[in-house]
Amino acid sequence: MSSMRLLLVEDERDIQTFLTQALAEAGYAVDLAPDGAAAEGLALVNSYDILVVDLNLPDQDGFNLIVRLRQMGVRTPVLILSARRSIDDRVRGLEQGGDDYLTKPFALAELLARLRNLLRRNAPQGGEATRLRVLDLELDLLRREAKRGGELLQLTPQEFVLLEYLCRNAGRVVTRSMILEQVWGMRIQPDTNVVDVHIYRLRGKVDGNRQPPMIRTLRGVGYVLKDR
Amino acid sequence: MSSRTGKAQVRSAAWRISLWATLAYTCGTVIVFIVLDRFVAKDIQRRTDAWLSGEVEVLSDVAEHTPNDALYNRVVGEVAELASREVPNRTAASGDAGSAVFFLMTGSDGAMKLCVGAGSGETNLQAIRSRRVLLDRPSDILIQGFSVPFRVASVAMDGGGRVYLGVSERDEMRVLRNLRLRFFLLWLSLVQLGFLVVFFSSRRTLSHVRRITEAASRIGHSDLKARVPTSERHDEMADLALTLNRMLDRIEQSVLQLHTITDSLAHDLRSPLTAMRGKLETSLGSLRDGEQAEAVVAAIEELDRLTEFLNKSLDVAEAKADALFLRVEPIDLDELLRSMIGLYEPSMSEKGLKIELQSTGPVRIEADPGLIHRMIANLFDNELKHLGPGYTVTVVLREQDDCTLLIVRDNGAGFDPDVLPHLFSMRVKGRHSSGHGLGLAFVDAVMRAHGGSATASEAEGGGAEITLTIPNHSVGSGSADKAARGIVQV
Repeated sequence: MSSMRLLLVEDERDIQTFLTQALAEAGYAVDLAPDGAAAEGLALVNSYDILVVDLNLPDQDGFNLIVRLRQMGVRTPVLILSARRSIDDRVRGLEQGGDDYLTKPFALAELLARLRNLLRRNAPQGGEATRLRVLDLELDLLRREAKRGGELLQLTPQEFVLLEYLCRNAGRVVTRSMILEQVWGMRIQPDTNVVDVHIYRLRGKVDGNRQPPMIRTLRGVGYVLKDR
Repeated sequence: MSSRTGKAQVRSAAWRISLWATLAYTCGTVIVFIVLDRFVAKDIQRRTDAWLSGEVEVLSDVAEHTPNDALYNRVVGEVAELASREVPNRTAASGDAGSAVFFLMTGSDGAMKLCVGAGSGETNLQAIRSRRVLLDRPSDILIQGFSVPFRVASVAMDGGGRVYLGVSERDEMRVLRNLRLRFFLLWLSLVQLGFLVVFFSSRRTLSHVRRITEAASRIGHSDLKARVPTSERHDEMADLALTLNRMLDRIEQSVLQLHTITDSLAHDLRSPLTAMRGKLETSLGSLRDGEQAEAVVAAIEELDRLTEFLNKSLDVAEAKADALFLRVEPIDLDELLRSMIGLYEPSMSEKGLKIELQSTGPVRIEADPGLIHRMIANLFDNELKHLGPGYTVTVVLREQDDCTLLIVRDNGAGFDPDVLPHLFSMRVKGRHSSGHGLGLAFVDAVMRAHGGSATASEAEGGGAEITLTIPNHSVGSGSADKAARGIVQV
């Protein structure tokens, strides 16, 4: 990912600071716009790969900004940040148009994952792979079989979906809520360790006594499937 | 289907109103017809009597003044026969007048002198004598051999004898019978017509009421934009619709205000939470394996719990005010439960708990899947937190009448009896609970928002049981999710 250009439209100083830092660390070249007018100016002059827009701007509604930019011919994918309680229908409409949204507060890992998704959606697609390979872990997506070091793993269908999700994001952090949304299709926040137990079981089957252990827990952040 | 609408028809107010109106109408027309019938019958009799009295006078005159010779009987007989042709109420169909009229003359000794017309003289005379009627006025006499009584008038002759003239009431009765038959047919069609007029006019009026009701019931918790239909006419129905719409305006206004408050509260709390979480997360990168990392991780987890607590509190607050915003979709509860049980089963078995689903197949409802997911996660989290090893959680899904029942039951220690009555209130929790006491309040809130209810009870043989009742057609129809909600500026 050689320096994607990203425009961050956000007025809260605290959020600006850590987002700029985190996005820069993730390899994005970040421009900052504190309000809608500044964002319009920047987006029309520069060509960005992706926009991150807070819905709550001092001079206008973030949604209106997106609509105006679209009318002016800016086709850049947008990730909407919202501190509102409910995601209203207009934002849902944008989501169907290829954009995405994230409610505050969010995990950085989730923000990065959604940005990657948006960029990938926009990039020309290769044929869908039927096999995934991470180190000595091999997934056959057609036969729904997983092998580690040539040895067949006895996975339940649910575990296979979970492992597939981890493999597709190998080397990157996935949070519990990302797993719940992508694997189970639920936007929930259980206050028990339901996801951890699934990961724990999967780790028992994938790693066991094998070296090196691939599924790593990053406490407070999420999980990562190591790819090196 | 048609029998169902038929039943609904019978239960409708229009049907009841029509039945009662028709009953009143029927009684009224019956009374009117009876009065008319009596009036007509009396009038006919009056005319018969007038004819009889006149004719009997004429006949007695003739009988008195005709010379009492050999031709006497013929002359009087012919006059009587001529008279009988002019019997009132006669129709062409009534046939031979001879059987409808008789003329009788007695001598001064009371013996029969002459008899012309219907019946035999002796029997007629006998019947007349046996009645011992007031002979100055016409009266009814039943004569043997005739089913219909005769109206008989008499007059005394100067010579001491009497002249009797009788006319069968057969024709009179036929006229009355025809009249009654016509009355009856007319009455039948009037009653039917009356019923239909009342039924359709009241159904038309009430269909407006039904449209208002349907529209009002669609305006649920989520769709406050819609209004009940108003009509052009300025009648009571239009007033009702206008009043309802004004009430809805006020409700929408206050709900909007509540949304504004909760949204700005959420915003004001979430922005600093986002900044805090972000900073903690970025600082974690440099500390990852150190001991300080533990503290940062704990803080992040605490923040996530705080966020969920904030979300739930606001949801519960809004639901208590019937203002929770729903995004309704058709969902299959059976499938949803299976996937949630799939998610929770490993954690349960890790704790030595069993979880099983009793369901007979797909159960489709209209609901907000996000809220339903969170609600069931709450219930399962509760079981995970409060149930000791070795117990079983049973989830029962079944349809009953117009509702879907979702029961989550365990065979554990059951609810704390002190807490049971207040279980669904905010911030109520068991003595040993570590939660915020929001879980079941949230469950109740979600159920309320869907027009359903949540109840807690002691399960059979001990244990906790929570029953959720979801009406099958709870939250409006499709209009709810189509209605765009205005963005609330915060």
